[in-house]
Amino acid sequence: SPDDGPEMVPGAKAFTVSAGKHAKFRCYVTGKPKPEIIWQKDGEPLTPGRRHLIYEDREGYFILKVLYCKPQDQGLYVCTASNTAGQTLSAVQLQVKEHRLQF
Amino acid sequence: EIPGAPGAPLDVKCLDANKDYVIVSWKQPAVDGGNPILGYFIDRCEVGTTHWTQCNESPVKFARFPVTGLIEGRSYIFRVRAVNKAGVSLPSRVSEPVAALDPSDRARLRSHPSAPWTGQIIVTEEEPAEGVVPGPPTDLQVIEATKNYVVLSWKPPGQRGHEGIMYFVEKCVAGTEDWQRVNTEIPVKSPRFAVFDLAEGKSYCFRVRCCNSAGIGEPSEATEATVVDDKLDVPKAPGR
Repeated sequence: SPDDGPEMVPGAKAFTVSAGKHAKFRCYVTGKPKPEIIWQKDGEPLTPGRRHLIYEDREGYFILKVLYCKPQDQGLYVCTASNTAGQTLSAVQLQVKEHRLQF
Repeated sequence: EIPGAPGAPLDVKCLDANKDYVIVSWKQPAVDGGNPILGYFIDRCEVGTTHWTQCNESPVKFARFPVTGLIEGRSYIFRVRAVNKAGVSLPSRVSEPVAALDPSDRARLRSHPSAPWTGQIIVTEEEPAEGVVPGPPTDLQVIEATKNYVVLSWKPPGQRGHEGIMYFVEKCVAGTEDWQRVNTEIPVKSPRFAVFDLAEGKSYCFRVRCCNSAGIGEPSEATEATVVDDKLDVPKAPGR
């Protein structure tokens, strides 16, 4: 659910997930010809790997999934879409909440 | 419905469309009501309105009619009524909509690029326990090999999680363990894949991994080494 905390980037909503859970980023993209999508975290491109899944779902949404979130997964996630007619992006801030055991 | 009038005409189509006219054609009704058909009336309606206009004042005999007086760029649907001496039939089923545009403009509009738009990114949290990482695919085979490409085919794994699975294909020069993902960006959905960009004279092994939203699974067994050379570029015997 969206956080009420201060936004770290203007226009970028913040979402919080718990450490150890998966974070699913879902973005709808339109454009003709079909745009190319790049996911970035803090300005660095993300590539598919063991903890990062990148795919298009059956409803046509572009999905980035970060598995087993760690504190270092916190940051600004950007989905950039580009085609011959132009480029645009959407951004979102991810916060990872750590569980501390209380004794 | 008037007794003795013809049935409704059938299969109303637009044969040709441009900004000046649309040629509408149809088939004669299955029943003429016992009296010969004297001709037809063609009606048009601009898409988005409910106002039908009769295009011809007196019935036309020929089952094809150029409709003029259209507004360029607007879309129209058409229907046809048959006439005999008893009266006028019910209207036919309407045609598919057609735009009053020259073919070149229609093609330009269709291929006109539009800049991308991205919606708000929505983030949701998922429980890791929900997802099961799929197991390795089985029966991986090279089903076609030429000096330009190799086609692989395999079977989906038994352990697959809840959702659809997709695949990553990996190649490796035979004798090394230097596996490289072939489809780096997008996993493939169907259990077959053509690998291009193979160096002639080299020998390659292939393997495939499954993935779903829970993760990427272990690789399949690797194929036997396939040598990429001219000898492979031989068509298979028919019937194989």
